[in-house]
Amino acid sequence: MAKSNPHTNEPENPQRRTFLVGAITALGGFISFILGGSGLVYFLSPAWSSKKEDWVEVGPVGNIQGTSPVKMDYVKRKMDGWEVIESPGSVWMVNKGGNWIAYDPHCTHLGCPYRWDESKGLFLCPCHNGVFNKDGVVMSGPPPRPLRQFPVKLENGTLYIIPEEKVS
Amino acid sequence: MKTLLDWLDERTGWRKLKEVILDRHIPKGVDWRYTLGSITLFFFLLQVVTGMLLAMHYSPSPDHAYDSVKYLTDQVPMGRFIRGLHKWGATGMVVSVFLHLLRVFFMGAYKYPREVTWLTGVFLFFFVIGFGFTGYLLPWDQKAFWATTVGAHMVEQVPYFGGALAKIMRGGQDLGAVTLARFYAIHVLVFPFLALLFMGVHLFLVVWHGISAPPERDSALGDRRDHDWKAHLNARYLELKAQGKSFWPYIIFKDTVAITVVFLIVMGLAIWKGVELEDLANPTDTTYNPRPEWYFLSVFQLLKYFPGKWEAFGIVILPLIVVTALVALPFYDRGPRRHPADRKLLVGAGWLAILGVVILTIQGARSPLINPMGEKNPMVMEGKRLYVELHCEYCHTLHGQGGTVGPVLDDVGIRRDRAWLANHFRNPKKISPGTKMPNFNLLDGEVEALVAYMSSLGGGAFTAKAPKLFEDNCATCHKFHGVGEDIAVDLSHIAAVRDSSYIAAYTKDPLKLNPDAAMQGYADQLTPEEIQDLANYLYQQGK
Repeated sequence: MAKSNPHTNEPENPQRRTFLVGAITALGGFISFILGGSGLVYFLSPAWSSKKEDWVEVGPVGNIQGTSPVKMDYVKRKMDGWEVIESPGSVWMVNKGGNWIAYDPHCTHLGCPYRWDESKGLFLCPCHNGVFNKDGVVMSGPPPRPLRQFPVKLENGTLYIIPEEKVS
Repeated sequence: MKTLLDWLDERTGWRKLKEVILDRHIPKGVDWRYTLGSITLFFFLLQVVTGMLLAMHYSPSPDHAYDSVKYLTDQVPMGRFIRGLHKWGATGMVVSVFLHLLRVFFMGAYKYPREVTWLTGVFLFFFVIGFGFTGYLLPWDQKAFWATTVGAHMVEQVPYFGGALAKIMRGGQDLGAVTLARFYAIHVLVFPFLALLFMGVHLFLVVWHGISAPPERDSALGDRRDHDWKAHLNARYLELKAQGKSFWPYIIFKDTVAITVVFLIVMGLAIWKGVELEDLANPTDTTYNPRPEWYFLSVFQLLKYFPGKWEAFGIVILPLIVVTALVALPFYDRGPRRHPADRKLLVGAGWLAILGVVILTIQGARSPLINPMGEKNPMVMEGKRLYVELHCEYCHTLHGQGGTVGPVLDDVGIRRDRAWLANHFRNPKKISPGTKMPNFNLLDGEVEALVAYMSSLGGGAFTAKAPKLFEDNCATCHKFHGVGEDIAVDLSHIAAVRDSSYIAAYTKDPLKLNPDAAMQGYADQLTPEEIQDLANYLYQQGK
């Protein structure tokens, strides 16, 4: 098939061609901006959405005897995306002279679940040998920060915490 | 830069590709009607992009599908807009693919050498319909559930294999979890893959043969008996092609303008008309009026005309005839003559078919709703759902069913006000010391829903003003326990047939529930509280 001559009909007008290319770019850009913009907002929105956590009942204060840390388990009814779930959680409670401290039960290194060793009087992390004392201070090992604390309150003999929120 | 492009050209051959695709000449006379294919392709891409985003917040199981769609619509930033684009984009795609098919049909563009292009196109048309049918089950609302129920029963009408086919479609005997997962997989995996495959062939053939020139009435074309008609046709095509302009940017400009226009329309619909989510799918509901998407309304209406044993004809034979007629079209309408005036019989049949579809669609849209449209309070529905989910019936009796540990709830809406109920749900032991009811740690929305449901039980309390409201507004026509005139229905035993929310909705706007109602609406004369008060009174005292 012989290649057809593009100039048989009318000569190409370079100005018109430039205009058309500009118009295609502008209209295509407009559609991409609307679609891409709203799509990006939709996809990236978890980055700036924040959820207000509420107080959770963790148990009666009478369960804690002495001054050793005690692990308390609780079940929190909450929204998980579009589902209502009953999510189990736990917290290390320490009675420090009448003041209650609630420690996030995850090591500040990489989030492993540490435990209280009564004989040593220390929190020991099983993953990379992180060690904390009763005040949450790092004694040895890789953890970069002291243990994280949750807000805690005592009401009518019952302890409440706000998990997933830092004490400032 | 040039060296880089040269390097790339040696490895990919992009210059040749550009020449073949972008610089190819399009025959003279290709106008705006030819943008329909590009518009359909754009809609497909729009559905792919928005669909991928929607899938990120969707759970294909009956337990969570509805809630996840609600979540992405109401909670996720831009979720409502994206879902709106997907919904209206689907509608746009059905329209554009249909018009594209009609354009090709009337211009006879499916004829030699484009028969295979037509075949792949017809299959793509079927895929679009399939996308629509599988897509609207996904939100798992009433419309989704009932439309698919009807669809499955239609399949069941197929002679001999009907039952098996319906089971395959549903993944079992009933419409449920397996059906939803199946439809989801087909909607987001099977159909997109097949559609892309067919689209690839379709587009390749469009480039290979070139876009068909507009049909001409040329006596020199001869007919099928002339052995050289193909050569003549090809020569004329090359002539027109030489007179035409290049694809880039002249034709693409037209496509882009047309695409921008339809995109603005779809965007406007997504913003101003938005998306709806009906009530959660409820297999026990007998008050719902199932209606398909508008593009299935013609089929919906058609099926009303086939009684009993003729049913299979309407559901199986007729669609089969239509499908065969479409698929086989380029094989029974052959030869060089493409102009509509040279194909009067076929074009006439085409117009008849279009007229039929349009009339049936209008009739379907206008067909009266058999069931009265009861207004349901979504919070009450949500409360009902929670009542079941939290197993309240283990301890409480409602409508004669349930345990006896807690009090009977039939008239709790009259006994307790909303504030008491709310406090009770938040902390039962604080409000009712010694109660055995545990604290469920309910979320705020859950408390609200349960309160709405509980206070609706027993029809809700009415005030001392209600009898006066009846005398002033209703007694001129209605009788109620000896008060009022005998002009309209006696309401003394209304509670036997209607509940208070129905009475309230009817008082507000009777025509909405009964198109033949002679009564006027009271939305302007009475406040919503007064109407509810009146409805509660009629319900309580009308037992």
